[in-house]
Amino acid sequence: MMVRFSIRKCIFSLLLLVGVVNCAFAQDFRFTTTVSSNTVAVDESFQIQFMLENGVNITGLTLPDLKDFDIVQGPFEQRGQSIMNGRRSEYYAVLFALRPKRAGSFTIPAAQARVNGNLVKSNPVLVEVKKGNSQTQQQMQQQMQQLQQQQQQGTGPYAPRTRGGDEAVDGILRKGENINEKLRKNIFVKVEVDKTNLYEGDQLTATYKLYTRLPTNSSVTKVPAFKGFSAKDIELPNPPQATEETVNGVPFKVFTIRKTLLFPLQSGTLELEPVEVDNQVRLVKIVQNKRNKGGRDPFEDFFNDPAFKDPFFDDIFNRADVEYEDVPYKTQCNPVKITVKPLPAEGRPASFNGAVGKFTMDAVVDKTKLSTDDALTLKVTISGQGNVNLLNAPKVEVPTGFEKYDPKVTDNIEKNSNPLSGSRTFEFVLMPTEAGDHVIPPVEFSYFDPVANTYKTVKSAPFTIAISQGKKVKSEKQDFSVGRNELTGIESGILPWVKKQTWFITSPIFYALLLLPVLAFAGMAFYKRRKDYNTTNAALLKHRYANKVALKRLELAARYLKEGKDKAFYEETSRAVWGYLSHKLKIPFADLSKQLIQEKLAARSINGSNTSELFELIDNCEVALYAPGQDNRRMQGTYEKAVSIISNLEDALKN
Amino acid sequence: MLQFRMIKSLFLAMGLFLIASAAHVSAQEVNPQQRFDDANNLYRQSKFTEAAASYQQLIDAGYSQRELFLNAGNAWYKAGKTGMAVYSYEKALQLSPADPAIKHNLALANQKVTGYTGELPLVFFQQWWLKLQHMHSSNGWAIGAVLFLWLLIAGIIVNFLIPGYRNKYLTGANYLLGVLFMLYLLMSVDTYMIANNHNNGIVLTDTIKVKSAPDDTSKDLFELHEGMKVKILDATKEYCKVELTDGKNGWIICAGIKSL
Repeated sequence: MMVRFSIRKCIFSLLLLVGVVNCAFAQDFRFTTTVSSNTVAVDESFQIQFMLENGVNITGLTLPDLKDFDIVQGPFEQRGQSIMNGRRSEYYAVLFALRPKRAGSFTIPAAQARVNGNLVKSNPVLVEVKKGNSQTQQQMQQQMQQLQQQQQQGTGPYAPRTRGGDEAVDGILRKGENINEKLRKNIFVKVEVDKTNLYEGDQLTATYKLYTRLPTNSSVTKVPAFKGFSAKDIELPNPPQATEETVNGVPFKVFTIRKTLLFPLQSGTLELEPVEVDNQVRLVKIVQNKRNKGGRDPFEDFFNDPAFKDPFFDDIFNRADVEYEDVPYKTQCNPVKITVKPLPAEGRPASFNGAVGKFTMDAVVDKTKLSTDDALTLKVTISGQGNVNLLNAPKVEVPTGFEKYDPKVTDNIEKNSNPLSGSRTFEFVLMPTEAGDHVIPPVEFSYFDPVANTYKTVKSAPFTIAISQGKKVKSEKQDFSVGRNELTGIESGILPWVKKQTWFITSPIFYALLLLPVLAFAGMAFYKRRKDYNTTNAALLKHRYANKVALKRLELAARYLKEGKDKAFYEETSRAVWGYLSHKLKIPFADLSKQLIQEKLAARSINGSNTSELFELIDNCEVALYAPGQDNRRMQGTYEKAVSIISNLEDALKN
Repeated sequence: MLQFRMIKSLFLAMGLFLIASAAHVSAQEVNPQQRFDDANNLYRQSKFTEAAASYQQLIDAGYSQRELFLNAGNAWYKAGKTGMAVYSYEKALQLSPADPAIKHNLALANQKVTGYTGELPLVFFQQWWLKLQHMHSSNGWAIGAVLFLWLLIAGIIVNFLIPGYRNKYLTGANYLLGVLFMLYLLMSVDTYMIANNHNNGIVLTDTIKVKSAPDDTSKDLFELHEGMKVKILDATKEYCKVELTDGKNGWIICAGIKSL
């Protein structure tokens, strides 16, 4: 029981508490309709304001029917907070500038709104319209100006904040507000791109904007480099001009920091780098009443610097409890990813050279008749929208007989055009070198149209150029000394017309001729060798068998001796001796002479008795041959002598 | 009667055919001197393209003359085909390397070649060697080699095989002949090798991409322009590995170069 009771009590007290809080809000809630003037002239404008103060959860604001008035301006919606005498209040207001249609007295009925679920009504307003006069309009304008001034200064009856309103007021740092939170909410940089998915070379516009609701002195500290893009900046007004924009229902002052036309140079995912802005935000700080000083806000102590308590500030705001400070705040935008598609490969013309956009081409030659002393200019102008600043020279197929020089490129790009448009002119200078009619083939230019998603090719007409023979007086381009830059003339004359050089070195005749003398030499050498061998060999044999031959002959001689044939005996003996000497001393038979034999034997150091006996024997034989009638005994002696001489010589020659 | 006429007409037709074929042959084999003179006339009339084509026909027919290549080079140069001009001058220079006219014209043509770096000058002994090489033609060297060999062999025979003729002067002469024979043989082989060396080429297409490997997908290293002389180091079916005088090398499509 006790427990349940206590729970009920708790719930009760909680409900009570909520009710009190509700009361606290309800206490301050007001819904009013006010007009700037209750009495107006026809053609005079006036302002009407429907204001909900401290309304929680406002829904369904129904404005009264304003059928008797023309709406000159509006509706303006205002939302804001104000602190009056240390009391914070929120408000929501709708403003109109109205002009009565006719004179009379009109009652503007109450406006209805649903606040926190309850239907509330504002007060009806009576407006009296008089016949107009010319001065009233001026008055009205003055009044309007006055009103605006009041609003801006924050000194008007409700201190309403016009949209994009005065930063000085927004720059008030209220009690309990987190300074960082406030800065984050009220100053930021944003990058806007018109497309995030595009073709290589297509144009992309990136705008960097600074959104602020606070008075700030900002400078850009980091500018994006646009990696992978060709960038062309659009010139921005200087000093920068603010525009107004509402973000999530909150009006912001917007400064454009940079606006750039970007042409992706490569495919893939590219990132736009963030821009970084340094801000010096001027904040006005409300210090609560002195009695509350040393309060809960940790910043309060920090900013309670004597510098901020300068009487100067007090003068401006005419309030003793306002502090003023510059807070540095660095902000940067989020990087943006751009998907760049490569240009389609199929259907790509051969003449395509990177142009993306929409172009036209115009190709003209400055003359169609000229001499070889003259020069021809082919001017190709490509104009249109797209990456004009990146256009490459179209390929000009120059026929032989022309010297082509690199084109001169002139740009004529419209300033601050978006999309980038303009023209680029290529001037090709062509020097004819040959007389005759020449046709320069059509100049072809291809580009990719990202809208139609196809390649397109434009072609000029071919140019026919008639070239006459000039006087060849054209100056040469590099060296002016005589003949330095002229070709030597052609050479004529009777030439030995031989088709293809024959190579003697590869022909068999060459090798045959090389081989022939070698073979001849080899043959001759072989023959001589053989001959030499044969002769030496025969002599050797004779030498070896000389003794035997001699002995055989002597045997024959001995038989003749027995038979008593003296002539044959001497003949045979003589032959045996001579033959022996011939063979042994290697002297041909015909060359034999006593003289030669003596020399030969002397050379072999055989002298003395042997030689003299030899010659004696030879003499005996010769005498006996030509003087026959010798006796048998003497023949016997001669025989024995011959045998002994030969055996002696054999011994001597062996050594 | 009819038969006779038929035979007669048959003979006539055969005769005509023979004449026609003879005329055909002679038309094909027009005197090259005549064609050369015609081309020279075209050149003098400033019809360079036609003149160049005529010279080229002679060259393609297999004629190889210094004057022919020089004139062809001039015509190509004037017609604006730097690549063919350089090619023709290089060919002419192969035939007569010391010719000042060819050198001058080649230098002019090379001025038009984008990226031409110039060739390295030869060291003095290379110049001597070059001069020596062109003292005779390849055939001249070969004939000289044969001649000196005969003389050498004769000398040897006299010196060694015939008794009574041996003396030191003859021996010295034989040594000299031997050295001369070796030199002539070497030079004839050398000149033959040089003349049949197709390791150099001229780029004929306007711009050609040099790749890092012999296939389409490989990386582009640099570009070569018309008229550039390159050394061919290696070749596949489609790609040739080339080297420039400054040592850069890479693969290019063989169709883009004409070997000298």
